[in-house]
Amino acid sequence: MSTTENIYLPKTAIVDRVTDEIAEVKTFYWHFENPEDQKAFKKFRPGQFAQVSLFGVGEFPASLPPSPTEDETFFTIRVVGSCTAALHKLKPGDKFGVRGPYGNGFPMEEYYGKNLVFVAGGIGLIPLRSCIVYALKHRDKYKQIQIFYGSKTPTELMYVENLREWEKSAGIECRLTVDRPCETEVWTGNIGVVGSLFTKPGTEIPVDNTMAFVCGPPIMFRFVIKDLLKIGFQEQNIVSTLERYMKCGVGKCGHCCIGMAYVCTDGPVFTYEQIKKLGEDI
Amino acid sequence: MKARILDRTDVLKIIDLLRSEGYEVIAPFSGRERDTYFEAVTDANRDQVEMHVPNPYYPPKRFALPHIERLMKVRQKNGEITIEPTIEEPKRALFGIRSCDVAGINHLDRFYLGRDFKDVYYEKRRKNLLLINMVCTEPGVDINHECFCMCTDTGPAAREHFDLQLMDLGEEFMAVAGTPAGERILKAPIFKQGNETHIEKRRSILKDIRRHFKNTNSWFSATVKYISQGAVLEKTWEQIGNRCLECGGCTYVCPACTCFTVTDREIGPNEIERVRLWDACALAGFTRMAGGHNPRRAVHDRRNRRFFRKLAHYFIQRELSMACVGCGRCATVCHGDVGMPHVVEMIRRATTEIEKS
Repeated sequence: MSTTENIYLPKTAIVDRVTDEIAEVKTFYWHFENPEDQKAFKKFRPGQFAQVSLFGVGEFPASLPPSPTEDETFFTIRVVGSCTAALHKLKPGDKFGVRGPYGNGFPMEEYYGKNLVFVAGGIGLIPLRSCIVYALKHRDKYKQIQIFYGSKTPTELMYVENLREWEKSAGIECRLTVDRPCETEVWTGNIGVVGSLFTKPGTEIPVDNTMAFVCGPPIMFRFVIKDLLKIGFQEQNIVSTLERYMKCGVGKCGHCCIGMAYVCTDGPVFTYEQIKKLGEDI
Repeated sequence: MKARILDRTDVLKIIDLLRSEGYEVIAPFSGRERDTYFEAVTDANRDQVEMHVPNPYYPPKRFALPHIERLMKVRQKNGEITIEPTIEEPKRALFGIRSCDVAGINHLDRFYLGRDFKDVYYEKRRKNLLLINMVCTEPGVDINHECFCMCTDTGPAAREHFDLQLMDLGEEFMAVAGTPAGERILKAPIFKQGNETHIEKRRSILKDIRRHFKNTNSWFSATVKYISQGAVLEKTWEQIGNRCLECGGCTYVCPACTCFTVTDREIGPNEIERVRLWDACALAGFTRMAGGHNPRRAVHDRRNRRFFRKLAHYFIQRELSMACVGCGRCATVCHGDVGMPHVVEMIRRATTEIEKS
């Protein structure tokens, strides 16, 4: 007799190390206690997410910033509520719970042979990091790769090491911008919203045969979409990943349901064409 | 389907039979005034079991999907975490459950056991849950002003999804088996062969009972069409939303609502339990994320959400079952008179007028 898997049961994970990203944001490198769980989890796709458990506090959905092609598994988490605050207290060796991966993820194979444009704002780079690293690992499968990333100030740029690496790599264009400079850090780069990078001299975004990945706060999302449509992008060629309050991650609790979609199982990755039809705010 | 006849005086013996087989039997009882409720049958209350009562407001859904259900216990000690799932597999029979509530449990079956992810808690709880359906035949008792099962095509006599169906024919009851488990019950010596007269009697009662429903024109199909086409005006949703007091009552009495929330709570030193509780999309916090961002702000968005989820053709097809079973509870408890039948009517009226003009 086949037994039904318990979809709500987290598996024990152990924190390996914790690194500071920006203010209130840390990256937690971790692995499952059971190597079998680790092996199964590593089959995740860019854009998928996991449910993170802090027992006694609760559970929350977190996107997966690592690419499946990388060795380490990690979460990058900003403190916003009680669960994330509890996670931030964990130290190497501490245990917590993880289940997943869930969601559809970005169909990276379908995009073979296309140009990729990544547009991220603030911590919106967290889910897109997975796709970027994945795409660079399979560099020959894609044509032009461009990254446009903006944050409020230079101190709020995420994954600085990766950014420096991407800026230097041949074969990708990585442009950074900040809304405003700050006193603590020298900034010689662009100042302005991320959309202002699209029309800079020397930058040319191909519109045909291109997928644009957009992720960031709601206001940035709205403006970037407008800019992309203006330069000729088709709605179905813009993809994003949505955030919602989720309790189960597996299409049962109903919290993330918008319009005809359960964000957890039908998403979180949607094209802009689909998002528009969902009929709710981002 | 197999049918048998039994004497009126033998009906409660079905409960005795099931109890002797180790089933916990849940049956309807009367409290004060209109108050009725489902409760476990004991030796002491067995004779008070009611065959005809106004359907309890608190739906029998909780025997398939408990109002509060423990999912797991977690112990954290000396840096070790032990997670112990707490899956229950009770052997239980729901006696006297109405046709609408049978349809409600069928909807939960479709939702929790269908699609990509099966819910093991629901599966185990449901596995040994017998449904002994009672056909609504007493006007003014079984059937009240808010019943609209004729519009949702779920009653007054369920056609499927029960294990055994009982129908009051007067001095005798007709028992129809819907599953092998129901057929097994029919083997008991209290059941006799029926004849043409019994079938004729059933037919005439069912024909007559239809006249006693007040809500027979809820225009479900028209409303399903309008909602699915997106033809309902924002103004109409606002009108519905304005009447909603956001108490969440409709969702807690609904036999087909499936949403839940999950929370952890301490049960001892170093030990917590993770429970799930019914939740309501009518409440403002339902979609609010940590940090305060709430993509669904206005109350009419939330009303819209509930009725859309229940009535959009897309979801009806996805689950092959509609998330409204015509029990009328939401209409009874709603302070703002935006229970399902009225909403269906408001949408139908407003949208038909636009279509005409």
